[in-house]
Amino acid sequence: MHRIALVLLIVLTMLGTACSGNTPTPAPTQPASPTQAPEPTAVPAQPEQSGVLPEVNPLEVSGNVVTAGSSTVYPLAERMAERFYDEGFKGQITIDSIGSGAGYERFCKTGETDVANASRPIKDSEVESCAAIGRTPIEFRVGTDALAVVVSQQNDFVTDVTMEELALIFGNAAEKWSDVRAEWPAENILRFIPGTDSGTFDYFVEEVFAKDKEPHLSAANTQLSEDDNVLVQGIMGSPYAIGYFGYAYYAENTGTLKVLSINGIEATSETVDNNTYPLARPLFLYSDAKIMQEKPQVAAYINFFLAYVNEEVVDVGYFPASETALLAAQQAWVEAVQ
Amino acid sequence: MKANKDAIHLDTSGFTPNLPRRHRVGKLWLVIFRFATVVGLIALATLLLNVMNSAFGYVAVENKVDPDTLAVNGVELDDLPKAELVRILQENVSAGLFRRLENDEPFAERSRLDVYNLVLERVVEPRVVQQWSLQDSLFRRAQIEAEVAANYPKAELEFKSWLDKYFILNPQSARAERAGVRTAILGSLWTVGIAIVFAFPIGVGGAIYLEEYAADNAINRVIRTNINNLAGVPSIIYGILGLAIFVRALEPLTSGTLLGLADPTTANGRTILSAGLTLGLLILPMIIINAQEAIRAVPSSLRQASYGLGATRWQTVWHHVLPNAMPGVLTGAIFAISRAMGETAPLVVIGASTFINVDPNGPFAKFTTLPIQIYQWTSRPQDVFRNIAAAAIVVLVLLLLSLNASAVILRNRFSRRLD
Amino acid sequence: MVSQVNTRPYANETLTHRAALRRRPKISETLIQGFLFLCGALSILVTVGIVYELGKESLLFFTRQQWEETNRTLVEPMDAAQTTFKMTETGMGFGIGDTIRLRREATEVIDIRGDVVTVERAHQNTTAEAHTVGVEIELSRQVTLAEFFTKTEWNPQIGKYGIWALVNATLMTSFTAIIVALPLGLCVAIYLSEYASTRVRSTLKPLLEVLAAVPTVVYGYFALTFMTPLLRAIFGVNTVEIYNTASAGIVIGVLILPLVSSMAEDALSAVPQSLRQAAYSLGATRLETAVKVVVPAALSGIAAAFIVAISRAIGETMVVAIAAGAGPAFTFNPFKAAETMTGHIVRISGGDLSYDSMDYNSIFAIGLMLFFMTLGLNILSQRIVKRFREEYE
Repeated sequence: MHRIALVLLIVLTMLGTACSGNTPTPAPTQPASPTQAPEPTAVPAQPEQSGVLPEVNPLEVSGNVVTAGSSTVYPLAERMAERFYDEGFKGQITIDSIGSGAGYERFCKTGETDVANASRPIKDSEVESCAAIGRTPIEFRVGTDALAVVVSQQNDFVTDVTMEELALIFGNAAEKWSDVRAEWPAENILRFIPGTDSGTFDYFVEEVFAKDKEPHLSAANTQLSEDDNVLVQGIMGSPYAIGYFGYAYYAENTGTLKVLSINGIEATSETVDNNTYPLARPLFLYSDAKIMQEKPQVAAYINFFLAYVNEEVVDVGYFPASETALLAAQQAWVEAVQ
Repeated sequence: MKANKDAIHLDTSGFTPNLPRRHRVGKLWLVIFRFATVVGLIALATLLLNVMNSAFGYVAVENKVDPDTLAVNGVELDDLPKAELVRILQENVSAGLFRRLENDEPFAERSRLDVYNLVLERVVEPRVVQQWSLQDSLFRRAQIEAEVAANYPKAELEFKSWLDKYFILNPQSARAERAGVRTAILGSLWTVGIAIVFAFPIGVGGAIYLEEYAADNAINRVIRTNINNLAGVPSIIYGILGLAIFVRALEPLTSGTLLGLADPTTANGRTILSAGLTLGLLILPMIIINAQEAIRAVPSSLRQASYGLGATRWQTVWHHVLPNAMPGVLTGAIFAISRAMGETAPLVVIGASTFINVDPNGPFAKFTTLPIQIYQWTSRPQDVFRNIAAAAIVVLVLLLLSLNASAVILRNRFSRRLD
Repeated sequence: MVSQVNTRPYANETLTHRAALRRRPKISETLIQGFLFLCGALSILVTVGIVYELGKESLLFFTRQQWEETNRTLVEPMDAAQTTFKMTETGMGFGIGDTIRLRREATEVIDIRGDVVTVERAHQNTTAEAHTVGVEIELSRQVTLAEFFTKTEWNPQIGKYGIWALVNATLMTSFTAIIVALPLGLCVAIYLSEYASTRVRSTLKPLLEVLAAVPTVVYGYFALTFMTPLLRAIFGVNTVEIYNTASAGIVIGVLILPLVSSMAEDALSAVPQSLRQAAYSLGATRLETAVKVVVPAALSGIAAAFIVAISRAIGETMVVAIAAGAGPAFTFNPFKAAETMTGHIVRISGGDLSYDSMDYNSIFAIGLMLFFMTLGLNILSQRIVKRFREEYE
């Protein structure tokens, strides 16, 4: 009996020390944002409601919004949803990070979600599936990602690669670093790539492997995961590891990772804006007009997203979409809710 | 134990007792056995210490906006009147946020301290830029201070317990400093609650049948073996089963559309109800086996006495056997609850949500649980998530320990009362 | 808790009243018995459900034909009679003898030269149709049982379905766990039952059981944050990858240690003192009694403990999901990353849940294999216990 009391006493003391260890400042704080390589240039200083979108007051919006899709878009969506909550939204937003392909499935085949997050444009076959369940997807461009090819900070031999070398590094033709460039070490290349459901994967295969995924998937020493955090963890553990994912995941880990320049071009907001960085790709939200009309909270969420995304996108680690693209998205919104 | 030379002399030429060597070997193995036990205890200690190491420690806190820059006409932030503080807040936060704060409680009615705290939280925004483990904090204090002075000159060093009141009360958040486990704890309680409501009556009923009513024929032997086998099936198989049956096949029921409680366009079977039922299936064999043991332990003299007075079988069970067996049954149930609370794999398969920060409002809500939260935070590479994962682990382990402790107390108390 | 009993209940009752007692209706009794039987039988339903669901989807996995996107499309329109067509240059390759599908029509490839393909039309009971420019070409994929059980590469996206990649990783982690836990557990059990005083035993045993109460996700965290850095510090950062099966295996060993030690200690304690004392009286030392008399007497219980622990190690999920790796790899090097069966199931189901894809069906096939492996082990352990248990009076 006294043994149990002893256990309980220990338990209570631990609980007591835990609770008494309060810091005087209230808990909410922002995560450390280490200096980001591209300096932001095109960020509006004041929140200006562009004349196109009507203003939305989150305090008056409630209900649920179900979204799912790209793990690249996820950090951005999460940030916008939190801000939406912060400014008074009373309902519930769920965001599942499952890959663009899976997001389209849930939106177009099973009809489970209101909004699909994607890092690649919708395919024709997916549009057809949507039509089969009575949905017409509307595209909203929300930002741009510069696909980051990263190595660990411990890697001291690689700073720049060409597109052809990327195909060698991530394909099944080369096994060691020295197979790609003779001056690199004769060690196995440890590859960490997004899973096949990921829009990032599809994009990489399209740009680097001419849409043929077989050499990419059958390369030796490859680890796949839809969870980009797993990739980050793997890459930072070895100087001979390499991988790729959305820029935000690099931005969160600049202390342990190093981003490579492609064909001599670094990812900055200029190179992304004028498309000289070879691996710049758009980020989208997709929804349907009927959903937006039947569930006004979905329309409000998208409106809020489009209105304030440029204030948050750089802090998250991505790049703003071009002015024209954003304006087109806002126009699409206005047409959808009529 | 030297051989007594005056004892009877047997012909021991072919037999060497070799006692000293045997004793040496015995002592050696005793050391090995003790060492093995110590290794086990060290493993336990390392496990707990490793978690503790990350859950507390020094942090370097930097302010996003230096409070000195907010001084007005030479008056420090600390001394500014409320009107000035409100103005600073309005200038530095987004219009929508200011509107919402005004809506929550008008600034005219807020106290100055309240507004000051808001300014600290939303404008000055202290952030953690570096964190150290408990071990480092206790033993390398001087080095840490030097490091902070060199790398983070604007930062302040303070001791932080990642497990504090805010951690338990805050909902999940993307930012590690703001994240809490409230949604996860509530999700855990809901799912385990549903699991036990489903599994306890059925489990005890099955145990009663097997012990009291079942003849020793083939079907009942099959049932018995079956239950023992089910207890050994990996939990992920139950997850797959739950996915196929509760999430897919029974979707109208588990998503709530059958009862009209959910929006048919976006409801799906990945709800608390499915999770609870799956966990219920998982702990069912455990409850049956434990209840069986408890019922078996009731002396048959009690039953015989009851039958002797003309009671029917059910009356005997309900009025005599079950009350006697109840402590054992309850103990088994509590151990089953603690098992269910720690399960992760089946719920990942069923589909816990990645980002959900609203408390569950019923059995048809999306869910996340404490172990799943720990899993997600552990998968993140940033160091700061290690800290909050450790804090969440402490919460979970404390919860489970108290459950198990109460089960043991219950068992002890009732067993003593019976004596 | 004995209910009130009237010692002379029927002394003043008439005979008819006593007869009425005998005629108490038994319908409610039968109903209750029926309900309780159903509760017990639910367990059978659960097993049947497991086997049925796993079997049904596994059957789909082996019999269904999956159409893989090749990212190639038609470059020119094609009518219902043509046998050659031109496709885009970029995209996945395929060969002679493969079956490809255009819209709803299945065809077999007879010849490929560059990007001009010759096919035999209208295979698999489909009809030949006209196709426009831009129609996507899909490649057929099908799994055979032979490929499943004999090949060693698991990569469903490019048509590789060899289960051995996953099974090998499971066996590696389980094997590491076994060599950690079984000897240690047995030693601990022998120490606790043969050498330790009652006070020591009553403190240590619950302490070790705390190890068993810790959730597996905490062990995963432990493996990633403590064991892997430890291994990397000992063996070098280049030998040990950040995800590896050795660290997962060792931590699983720690996880199953209390299982082995508790069950083995129970078995050893059940051996009656008379055996030990007989051995002592013959001059045996404590070690010899323990090892040569008690352990063989408790062998069935110890073997059962070992087998239950092995089956637990095989079914372990969270530790390997967090620490062992995220890509199937067939390797015997414990310091490299490799995905186990359970880790694969978790990764796939955590990603998408597209109900009709090969990946979804493959979860069930792998799950079925896992189920049979653990079931076989459990039945084995029960048989051993029954066969070799020595009954003591």
